[in-house]
Amino acid sequence: MTTTGSDSTRVGPPPPFDPELAAALETMTELPSSITADLIPVMRAGMIGRDATTEELRRGGAFEVSERPVPGPHGDIPLLVLRPAGTTGLVGAVYWIHGGGMVMGSNRGADSTKAFDLAHELGLAVVSVDYRLAPEHPHPVPVEECYAGLVWTVEHAEELGVDPERIVIGGASAGGGLAAATTLMARDLGGPALAAQLLFCPMLDDRNESASGRQMVGLGIWDRTSNDTGWTALLGDERGGPDVSPYAAPARATDLSGLPPTYLDVGSAETFRDEVVAYASAIWAAGGDAELHVWPGGFHGFELLAPESQLSRAAGGPRGPWLRRVLGL
Amino acid sequence: MEDLVGRLSALDPDAGAAVKVIAYFDRLVEGRAGLEPVVRGAAVLTGCAARLVDSDRGVDLRVDGTGAVRPSDGPPDPSWLNAPLHPGGPPALWLERAGPAGPVEAMVLERALSAARGALSRTRGPAPADDVAAVLDAAVAEPARRRAARRLGLGPAARAVALDGGRAGVLAADQTVAATRAGVGPLVPVEDLPSSWAAARTALRFAAAGTEQDPGPGVVHADQLGGLAVLAAAVGPGAEPVPDVRDLERARSTAPWALATLVAVATSSSLRTAAATLVVHHSTLQDRLTHVEELLGWSVRDPAGRLRLQLAIALRRLHNHH
Repeated sequence: MTTTGSDSTRVGPPPPFDPELAAALETMTELPSSITADLIPVMRAGMIGRDATTEELRRGGAFEVSERPVPGPHGDIPLLVLRPAGTTGLVGAVYWIHGGGMVMGSNRGADSTKAFDLAHELGLAVVSVDYRLAPEHPHPVPVEECYAGLVWTVEHAEELGVDPERIVIGGASAGGGLAAATTLMARDLGGPALAAQLLFCPMLDDRNESASGRQMVGLGIWDRTSNDTGWTALLGDERGGPDVSPYAAPARATDLSGLPPTYLDVGSAETFRDEVVAYASAIWAAGGDAELHVWPGGFHGFELLAPESQLSRAAGGPRGPWLRRVLGL
Repeated sequence: MEDLVGRLSALDPDAGAAVKVIAYFDRLVEGRAGLEPVVRGAAVLTGCAARLVDSDRGVDLRVDGTGAVRPSDGPPDPSWLNAPLHPGGPPALWLERAGPAGPVEAMVLERALSAARGALSRTRGPAPADDVAAVLDAAVAEPARRRAARRLGLGPAARAVALDGGRAGVLAADQTVAATRAGVGPLVPVEDLPSSWAAARTALRFAAAGTEQDPGPGVVHADQLGGLAVLAAAVGPGAEPVPDVRDLERARSTAPWALATLVAVATSSSLRTAAATLVVHHSTLQDRLTHVEELLGWSVRDPAGRLRLQLAIALRRLHNHH
């Protein structure tokens, strides 16, 4: 990525990090703000062995855990299924898409913990999809796999003990972008009706030109360079060009009507701030239903990296109540 | 930050971990973080519950090892690691783990307290100890000293008190000192407390510890010193004791009762009163005095000898308390 003369809009200095988050970030010197393509293998290697074990996923018997590969357009897609133990009737479910900048992560990764917590708290099942990653599998492979996994889940809902009318799609970071894209695809293709979408600090815009992106260069987590790396892995030379599909980058969508109730959150001190705020505004402008939280001084993924902090506790607070309202629990 | 604990404990505790602890609290201070993040930092960096107690300012904040704020369910266990907010003060920050402190814990206590001091004075106002320091310090602007005096509940006039270990106190006009060893300054308008403080420190040098080696009254009022105060300036550190002081010392090392006896005689209105104070028979006192006068080489029973004795005792205290 280069910062070119076209970025002529003046931006101010970066908003300050929340002091507690800044302190936590200070101790994570091993996490680079700027991830370049050559670092992808290093970052992937660093995540080996950090996935939740089945025993951890069971949460002391709260969930029954199973894995099943389901057929998809690019081969089998592994789905991880967590079902509240001891329930006999149909339960609602979160169809979950993990993050990792399109280039790393897994359906058992630490970034999924918050979603599993939420499902645990609300008595929902989880179906977590392990889509194939870029750059080995560029667009449209990831979104098509996410969509295929969703369709399979809805079609096999009763077999999973899930109420197909109460399926919530959600994702964090790249997973949030894929969740938004999968939702658009479901709307446009007459696919499954979703009860809600949860977009946690979602990665929505391949153009990578926002004020927030330019403010945070070299700072925090997943800066503008990292974002360029992720989008270029997914889209190659098409990144930022005129023909990028909204199913790759939902910020490209010109029509955001007809979406399910949407929950969005993001930190004020991260690359994605402006695209998330813009996406929420576009949903409202289209007459939709959205709840947006911008957490002041939050860097990307602050809940994952500093779960004990005041801001992480605050950010975790409104999700359960929102989902209860939306699902009528 | 769960990971943080693991990462810190995996590091060489003497090097890497300490650096990260310092960096962590430096950033909190830089960002003007409140008390809760400071206490949470202490908890998550050590992996055990931490609590900050400042009863003067009504603070009792406890954060468990996962970073959640959880009220205390009992008083701190005295065996837990702790450190005071100010030297000599009561324990303020506790880590709910028995000692001894490892290098990371020691560093966390030190840095967290330093951060907590700043957060406390910013969010709860200065500690009474800071206000006391302010009213006694001539370098602090007078309006700030008057505000500090009002926060301390002093009236228009007050006295400074010098205590052991360099500690300071102030007394409102109607208060009396509670310490066993203290120098009490004169009652002055609160704006003049720095001068009362200087006099109190001088008075403290004349105050006895109340031990066998340093018998006598422990509380000395500056405005009762009279001309003795002039002596204090003459006896600085390293000053050579006059022969009478050496003689006192020799008498004390020869007879353990000698010094207490001489101090009682010097401070009593009659030998009979002195005997009663010492709880010895009048004739015993007479025998002892005869013996000690031989050691000293002068009589302590005539007026000139009594003055000489009083000066020697006062000079000895000045040599012992700088």
